[in-house]
Amino acid sequence: MLNKLRLRLRSLFFKPKMEDELQAELQFHLEREIEENIVRGMTPEDARSAAIRSFGGVERVKEESRDVRGVRLLEEIWQDLRYGARMLVKQPGFTSIAVITLALGIGATSVIFSFVNGILLRPLPYRDSDRLVLLDENAPKRGIASMGVSYPDFLDWRDQNRVFTGVAAYEGGVDYTLNGSSEPEELSCSWVSYNAFEILGVAPILGRTFTAEEERWNNGTVVILSYGLWARRFDAKPDVIGRTIAFNKRSHTVIGVMPPGFKFPAVADLWVPMPPVVGERTDHGWSVIARLKPGVSFEQAQSDMTAVARHIEEQNPVTNEGLGVKLIPLREGLAGDYRKALLILMGVVGLVLLIACVNVANLLLARASARAKEIAIRTALGAGRWRVFRQLLTESVVLGVMGGALGLMLAFWGLDLLLAAIPIDLPFWMKFDLDGRVLGFTAGVTLLTALIFGAAPALQASKVDLNEALKEGGRGGAGAARHRTLRSLVVAEVALSLVLLIGAGLMMRSFMRLQHTSSGLNPENLLTLSLNAPVVKYDAMEKFYAFYKELLERIRAMPGVDAAGAASNLPLRGGSWEDSLTVEGYPALSVGQAPTINFNVITPNYFRAMGIPLLIGRDFNDADTGDSMKVTIIDERLAREYWPNESPIGKRVRFSPPDDKESWCTIVGVVGAVKNESLNLTHRKTVYRPNAQYPLDDMSLAIRARNPESLAPAIQRQVKAMDPDLPIINMLTMTEVVSRSVWQPRLYAILFSVFAAVALALASVGLYGVMAYSVSERSREIGIRVALGAQRRDVLKLVVMQGMTLTLIGIGIGLAAALALTQLMRSLLFEVSVTDPLTFAGLAAMLSVVALLACWIPARRATRVDPMIALRCE
Amino acid sequence: MKKTQTDLLQGTLDLLALKTLQAEPAHGWDIAQRIQQISQDVLRVGQGSLYPALRRLEAHGWIASEWGASENNRKAKYYKLTAAGRKQLTTETQTWRRFTGAVKLILKTS
Repeated sequence: MLNKLRLRLRSLFFKPKMEDELQAELQFHLEREIEENIVRGMTPEDARSAAIRSFGGVERVKEESRDVRGVRLLEEIWQDLRYGARMLVKQPGFTSIAVITLALGIGATSVIFSFVNGILLRPLPYRDSDRLVLLDENAPKRGIASMGVSYPDFLDWRDQNRVFTGVAAYEGGVDYTLNGSSEPEELSCSWVSYNAFEILGVAPILGRTFTAEEERWNNGTVVILSYGLWARRFDAKPDVIGRTIAFNKRSHTVIGVMPPGFKFPAVADLWVPMPPVVGERTDHGWSVIARLKPGVSFEQAQSDMTAVARHIEEQNPVTNEGLGVKLIPLREGLAGDYRKALLILMGVVGLVLLIACVNVANLLLARASARAKEIAIRTALGAGRWRVFRQLLTESVVLGVMGGALGLMLAFWGLDLLLAAIPIDLPFWMKFDLDGRVLGFTAGVTLLTALIFGAAPALQASKVDLNEALKEGGRGGAGAARHRTLRSLVVAEVALSLVLLIGAGLMMRSFMRLQHTSSGLNPENLLTLSLNAPVVKYDAMEKFYAFYKELLERIRAMPGVDAAGAASNLPLRGGSWEDSLTVEGYPALSVGQAPTINFNVITPNYFRAMGIPLLIGRDFNDADTGDSMKVTIIDERLAREYWPNESPIGKRVRFSPPDDKESWCTIVGVVGAVKNESLNLTHRKTVYRPNAQYPLDDMSLAIRARNPESLAPAIQRQVKAMDPDLPIINMLTMTEVVSRSVWQPRLYAILFSVFAAVALALASVGLYGVMAYSVSERSREIGIRVALGAQRRDVLKLVVMQGMTLTLIGIGIGLAAALALTQLMRSLLFEVSVTDPLTFAGLAAMLSVVALLACWIPARRATRVDPMIALRCE
Repeated sequence: MKKTQTDLLQGTLDLLALKTLQAEPAHGWDIAQRIQQISQDVLRVGQGSLYPALRRLEAHGWIASEWGASENNRKAKYYKLTAAGRKQLTTETQTWRRFTGAVKLILKTS
């Protein structure tokens, strides 16, 4: 063993010497043989040639002797690499097309993979995050998959479960204002159970977390700061612990600072304990997280919690009838809808990459025929088949690595572009960068693609028939097998790109549908913004009402403003408020069973400002006060459901908590339906209440003006004049709001289209290349045909027919594959069938036209073949 | 009597080369000649297989090589058996005997 190693090392480092020795040894043998032959009585010439004959090829013996040394492989790989690089440099046209093609495929794959990595693969920044689960309540019998958790149910879960080390409720994204210093700053706060941090397994870097006694906040409450807020506003000084800071004009004692990068849930600047009002069993809205006890499986936990829910249901039949618990692994809960879209996109870029591979394989095959002679000569000089195969594969790898490097650069750039296209603040745990995993993936993909696109051509080329290739000389004839491979590659390419085109077509159509779907309001010339009036300053409910009334009056008085109103929830700005509905004359249903409606508190003139049509009755006005008759306005869909043949005006309805002490509300108007949550959901029926009878602190303003953007600074001044401590949240025109709300479908549609366009371009280049190659191969045949009297038309038909046959086979396969694959996209599409015949037929036709063009150009060249030249050059 | 020449079975060449070197060191040409002579021209060693075989044996550490002067005073590479090579020769000889014995038995009975 040691000997072997020594020999190999010696061979590697003293290669020239070893070569010389081998040469000398064989030379000696040959000479001894000659001498012997002379002794036997031959003439020197005969002796020499007899010796050489018997020796059987010096070079082959040398080669085989080298083989035994074992380092030949290393040497040859190095040699092949240099040779491959030289060959590629010598053919810049071929090389750049192949490298760019590969770079597009590899780059696209890497970008999408970095998203997959960021959302689905990177470990979440909590300890043993795969043991964390989210808990939600559902009502399967009523078809409600997710409804949020009520606080009393959460408390029962916490007491009764046997499967969790801890259970915590939380709510993120609570607007908090930091007062005290120069500028009020709007912050995102999370309400959390005292043990939330313990469950997440993250310790504060400073101070402590909440104690069980601090579970609910009261007048002098405690707060934990995020690292970012601590560094930004408190200069990262440790003496912040114990300090009293005013948030929302209420004093808070700082007890801890969390480590950098820690957020919970998605974004958070600070954490406070649970608020005093947490709601009844019917108030669903809390989120709950828990950590599985060691050794407890997800399924065990689910079944234990189902039993707990049954028990709660028995104890509280009125409120909890039919309610269940659903456990969701944290990762799945966080990744949510992204998961499916990402996996589909990954499949899409996989297809693009495959098309790129097929294209390069095409190029290599066509080139291999030009190199047949070179390979034949190599074989004749003693290169084994395996050796030639390896040589060609090495060239592919060099090509692949170049493509991969360029692809990585494209990925860098593409990732930035893509991130810029995401208009929302990403949750902190989503990080998209080209980290080790992505780089490893890219490297793996590069090598794999090199093998995929390199293996078939290399195998073909190394199979070269010596006699044939050398006999045919410069003609560089390609065997029937190579033609077959080329043809099937073209068919595959056409089929793959049709699948992508159809996928993109469906996404595009879906997005266009979405854009043209009516939101029920007029988003033009509309400015929106949110305010959060601090609880302390406006302590009485009436003060909220007075504050918004005056602010709106001031805004209405501004030049250029046509109408202004406010609502607790503006459509498509995120956040909605649900309640259950009881209609007078219908049986009163338990809370769980009553229909849920969207509940919106508005000021007078809200409908005018939003451009929501008032169909019957009247708007709220200043005559509606806390003391007057309780009134409500409903939307047309609700009106149609309960009063299909009569006017609902004067009918009475009632809403469950938070308004349950409330008497009946009389319907005074009916307005058009609005899409509140999102454009692509069937919207919930909505009822409106006047803020005079239902004052709220947080409201959003809608201002209709001729030139809304230019109004922004004036409005800011107006708010400041009313209350200098009040920050403005998200001042956006409604068109921006609408466009932001559909960013996901838009992004998917764009990505799909870009990838499909790349695929189409690659496929047509591929088809063109193969047809052009085939025409040049057949120029003699075409020459003979022309000489025998074939017309231009006949030649044209010959070539085009050949190309179109391949195309049509590809389209057939592609249509079948698309029918199967688009099923996966069902959930991403809006009002478009996954088998939309128009998309399928239209794109198949488009692909045929492009293919026809790709065949037409080489076909025209074929018609110009001069029979004399074609025949003579043979 | 017309002599038939027999191509060497794969692997036998190793054994023969080792055996040839048992008596004294020799260079490649010598080895080929001796095998031919001792087998009375029945076995003929192609140079194409001899040198790769020598490399193989050397790689295994069964033979070692050094440059020396040939009988007519030219530079030649001499091979000699190593200790490991002697052991290997014994093993291979035994294996060969067992093998040919078995073949003989079969040929006798059937």
